[in-house]
Amino acid sequence: MIALQARRSRRTERIAVTGLRIAAGFVILAMAALLGYLAFEGTKTFYVDKFPLWSFLFSPEFAPDANHPGAAVFVTGTLAVTLFAIAIGGPFGIAVGIFLAEIAPHRMTQVLKPAIEVMVGIPSVVYGWLGLTLLVPLIRTHTSSPSGFGLAAAGIVLAIMILPTVITLSEDAFRSLPGALKEGSLALGATRWQTITRVLLPSASSGLAVALILGIARAVGETLAIQMVIGNATQFPKGLFAPTAALTTEIVTDMPGATAGSLLEHALFSMAFLLLLIAMVLIVMVRFALRRRA
Amino acid sequence: MAVTTTRSARSVAATGSVRARKMADALATGVLWAMASSIIVLLAAFLLYMVYLGGHALTPSFIFGVPKETTAGGGVGPEIYNSFYILVLTLLFTVPIAVAAGVYIQEYARPGTFRNVVQFSAESLATVPSVVMGLFGLLVFVYLFKWKFTALGGALTLTLLNLPALMRVTQEALSSVPDTLREASMALGGTKWQTITRVVLPSAIGRLTTGVVLIAGRIFGETAALIFTAGLSVPFNNPYDLNPMRPAETLAVHLWYTHSESIVPDVDRIGNGSALVLLIMVLLFNVAARVLGRQLTKRFTGRAS
Amino acid sequence: MIETVPQTLETATDKIVARDVNVFYGTFQAIKHASLTMKDQHVTALIGPSGCGKSTFIRALNRMHDLTPGARVEGTILLDGEDIYGPDADPVVIRHRIGMVFQRPNPFPKTIYENVVYGPRIHGERDKSKLDEIAERALRQAALWDEVKDRMQRSALDLSGGQQQRLCIARAVALNPEVILMDEPASALDPIATSKIEDLIGQLTDHYTVVIVTHSMQQAARISDFTAFFHLGEIVEVGPTSQIFTHPKEKRTEDYITGRFG
Repeated sequence: MIALQARRSRRTERIAVTGLRIAAGFVILAMAALLGYLAFEGTKTFYVDKFPLWSFLFSPEFAPDANHPGAAVFVTGTLAVTLFAIAIGGPFGIAVGIFLAEIAPHRMTQVLKPAIEVMVGIPSVVYGWLGLTLLVPLIRTHTSSPSGFGLAAAGIVLAIMILPTVITLSEDAFRSLPGALKEGSLALGATRWQTITRVLLPSASSGLAVALILGIARAVGETLAIQMVIGNATQFPKGLFAPTAALTTEIVTDMPGATAGSLLEHALFSMAFLLLLIAMVLIVMVRFALRRRA
Repeated sequence: MAVTTTRSARSVAATGSVRARKMADALATGVLWAMASSIIVLLAAFLLYMVYLGGHALTPSFIFGVPKETTAGGGVGPEIYNSFYILVLTLLFTVPIAVAAGVYIQEYARPGTFRNVVQFSAESLATVPSVVMGLFGLLVFVYLFKWKFTALGGALTLTLLNLPALMRVTQEALSSVPDTLREASMALGGTKWQTITRVVLPSAIGRLTTGVVLIAGRIFGETAALIFTAGLSVPFNNPYDLNPMRPAETLAVHLWYTHSESIVPDVDRIGNGSALVLLIMVLLFNVAARVLGRQLTKRFTGRAS
Repeated sequence: MIETVPQTLETATDKIVARDVNVFYGTFQAIKHASLTMKDQHVTALIGPSGCGKSTFIRALNRMHDLTPGARVEGTILLDGEDIYGPDADPVVIRHRIGMVFQRPNPFPKTIYENVVYGPRIHGERDKSKLDEIAERALRQAALWDEVKDRMQRSALDLSGGQQQRLCIARAVALNPEVILMDEPASALDPIATSKIEDLIGQLTDHYTVVIVTHSMQQAARISDFTAFFHLGEIVEVGPTSQIFTHPKEKRTEDYITGRFG
């Protein structure tokens, strides 16, 4: 009786483990398929249409109809808005992370944390809509910008959108520091602020690097929120308040009208592949930063 | 006596700088308080502003009405329906795969190549921008499978997009279960699988549910990945079609579409109303995540947490 | 450098006086009505079984409990006659005057040099040559100078556990404090490193008042002038070390030092 029971549970166990392993394998399969398929479609610009990679990356002239899809404007646009967002959202997010880990009393944490969770949940289009109805008119009235659309609007929206990522991860970075470091510093008569700036910040540096890198990853990939406020003009940003475009926004703007197999479509897939490569480089950087910490 | 003099001299010197240091400390603390508070104020202002903008749009004819192509007065009923429809489809695929993969990595997999590759794939998948995932969905479901724009294609694309997040939630929920529970069950002669299904998962169900509902909120508002997979339209004759092989524009996609492509005259009204409905849904998902998580934890483990 | 005035057990002045001290963690009372006088330029050892409250007590002496949410200290603790919990008392100043060395070495992830001069730096010392001078003096007093003088710019984390702990002592000494509190400073170290720390403590009383928590009675007997025996949050007995270990007055003390419990 017991033996039968045991045999039956051993069989269940074997079937279960196989099922679980297949599910885990599916994750690998999905990523591999994504990488392979996008690499295949994303390089057609170069091996089907014979457009040089160099010109794709560095030529500012985006004219797929004239067989010249240079994407330098979009690459620059992505770099510019990301830089803008991380320059504001990075320090701000780390500061709030410090606040949550070292200063905030329990009650404040209980309000702030759910607020941050709600921020994570707000859909990208709603951020875009808020930017469109609130920020763009504000920029229009208070600057010389005729439309209000442009780099600054996109950068500010993005800065707000990456805040939850940066805050949560930098809070984790501070919380994972051994308490002995803080005690050691305070026992020498340091104030809390001295302890934070001189001991905790440098000690948490690799964790903070992870927070910033993942913030950047979020900013690079963000699409609709900035597509709605960046202006979508195929030109280098001529200033903070001038319209421009980024890799993601260009894909959304032109993909619906692109004919299958056209150079335009190929170029857009190349941009998507480039975005994927950037994301993977960032992930490798995160791994590197984490290994340094361990 | 020399001792005393040296010491008091030192103390005085220290006191001089102490005031400045404490001022810096107080100032920095104040600034950090202000920054943290500004987030709450900003969020509250956003919510109130959206209520102010979109509040009047929330009429039954808007929430349940059918959209119009060229004239004013369209509703978003089918879009809300599609959002839920795609959400349910997505969860149907995502939850089993993600939970199974999470259980495997957390409970079974020994450190080694397979586990590393799974985790690296999951991390990479998690950083894939949603628009890139959308193009992948376009390539596979629309071009390769020749489905055209379908609810199913959209849901499968969202499955890939949210798989890593839910896998992570599963792993964290499992790791919060103390090992003593596992040992207790194994010591009673339970197999690993029995231990997981009867002891570990019930203990983790509260956290797991909280995570699933929060991710559901994200799926509900997802846009970029759906534009190229589920499409920008709803079936004209039968907007509440249950067939997964038909185009299914969701509310979030509708908000974007209305703004950028549509030619109806009341774009602002539809945009404001849709944005407000989306915000309300996000808040509901957040509250539900907390309440459900707490209830289930209590029910399955008999304690509140 | 501070001149030293040799003092005997009898003539030594009171450095820290604790009167009727109670410490609570929430509703749990960890220290009950503890009174203890710590003499200037002598070593006072706090001994007792684990969980007896000796670490809790020593952390009350430089207001480290300020950092623990829910912890509360009652009673009076006087440093040179001034109440360190008084309304004018400033924990930052008090911790400048009362240094602390922890159970496990906790060097900052910085260079050896930066660790030693951390205290003087945060208290406003910027003069490079003065900092160098302080670093050398502190490292000499901590008996570490010869081992690290050629690698001051190396990471403190590359040092051995015993060296790290002496570095932490140097870090405390660099501030020229009046009192050094040590919370089981050798408990994480091997016997050789431990004996180095013990020798060092003997020399430190040339300049400083030392209060040390230890779970080792032999250690207390070797290095301290006074010993206080803690049990269940109370100070059972206090007196000159030689007397406590040879003629304890209390039954519980005798049971503990003869190894009948704890």
